[in-house]
Amino acid sequence: MKMIFALITVALATAFVSAQAEEPENYIKYRQAVMKAIGGHTGAASQIVRGKVSQQADLVMHAEALAGLSAHITRLFPEGSDFGETKAKEEIWSQWDKFEQAADEAKKATAAFAAATAGGDAEQIAGAFKDVGKSCKGCHKDFRVKDD
Amino acid sequence: MRHWLATTLAIFWTAAGFCAEGEYLFDTAGCLACHTAEGGPPLAGGRPFETPYGVFYSPNISPDPETGIGDWTRSDFIKAVKHGEAPDGSAYFPVFPYPSYRLMTDADAGKLFEYLQTLEPQLQPNRDHDLPWWLARWMMDLWQWLLQEDPPPPPSDPKLARGRYLVDALGHCGECHTPRGWTGVSDRSRYLAGSKDGPEAESVPNITPDRDEGIGKWDADDLSYFLESGELPNGDYTGSLMTEVIDNATSKLSASDREAMVEYLRSIPATPGP
Repeated sequence: MKMIFALITVALATAFVSAQAEEPENYIKYRQAVMKAIGGHTGAASQIVRGKVSQQADLVMHAEALAGLSAHITRLFPEGSDFGETKAKEEIWSQWDKFEQAADEAKKATAAFAAATAGGDAEQIAGAFKDVGKSCKGCHKDFRVKDD
Repeated sequence: MRHWLATTLAIFWTAAGFCAEGEYLFDTAGCLACHTAEGGPPLAGGRPFETPYGVFYSPNISPDPETGIGDWTRSDFIKAVKHGEAPDGSAYFPVFPYPSYRLMTDADAGKLFEYLQTLEPQLQPNRDHDLPWWLARWMMDLWQWLLQEDPPPPPSDPKLARGRYLVDALGHCGECHTPRGWTGVSDRSRYLAGSKDGPEAESVPNITPDRDEGIGKWDADDLSYFLESGELPNGDYTGSLMTEVIDNATSKLSASDREAMVEYLRSIPATPGP
């Protein structure tokens, strides 16, 4: 009997912990942190690509981080995570196909940018970086509430 | 024969040059975005503008003679764009940015007109505005009196003057970035200092060189890159309506025009706000 109670308690506790981990609030915090990281790497890469700082050695690292962080953007937006402190527009979920497409653009653009930085051709890098920008801007325009 | 060929070529090149210039003005003045509804035919109008004065719908400016401006003359167009006067003599609501476009030269407005006439006509009747009961078109004749004050003279430096022309006349930046007084006329003392109630109920940032609230901490390259790509100096990208301005207008500027625009914006008085 005691054993059964113990098992139930453990089961309940596990269920509680995993339920808590999947709380939409946590997803909102998580995706905001990921987006901030994407912004951080983009800002850093921009300074290098535009020749404002000479940190060429770090460019591949920033580009690879961007590609990694942007590979599965749709996973950051599970159903039900559109409330409270979020700038995510409701259109993300109501126009999911369009959103998926925009996220795919980001995946392709960042992968191409990473490949370009590995190649080392300055012109190609600058062009690929612009495409990354286009994908960010395109998605933010349709799916993010404007701040300021 | 050779003479004939030369003349044809000359006419062709002039026409092409004219059109290219017209297209450049069309992009810079940002005609397309406002006169096209989401998913609708280009320049057929019908895009809604939610303002504190009601919802306005942009008109058809494609060259369709019935529902667009196909039967307009060059001088009808110049009057409309620069003076807010419709061909029937009535005054337009200033949601149409003629308070800015009035600074355009007649030559540029004419080229814009000729370019528009080369585009695809779209048959789409204009939609009536949704306005409060007290607001009517005839009042705009009176409103235009409020605009009588002459705009400040352009800077004497030619590059700054070009920048000012791009910012004020063509780009009509102040329509959103300069706050309005209670009459709806732009408050010149707060030129480009941002607005708390911009279009679509969004606030609009201060773009004066104020270091705290404006863009005084951006260098010329940051600003130029922003106008070209939409990337903010912190690595984030602009959203919402400014994206349209970047895509349709400022990213298409020539390098020297973008530079002139940047130099001018960096030369205006720093004003805190909004």
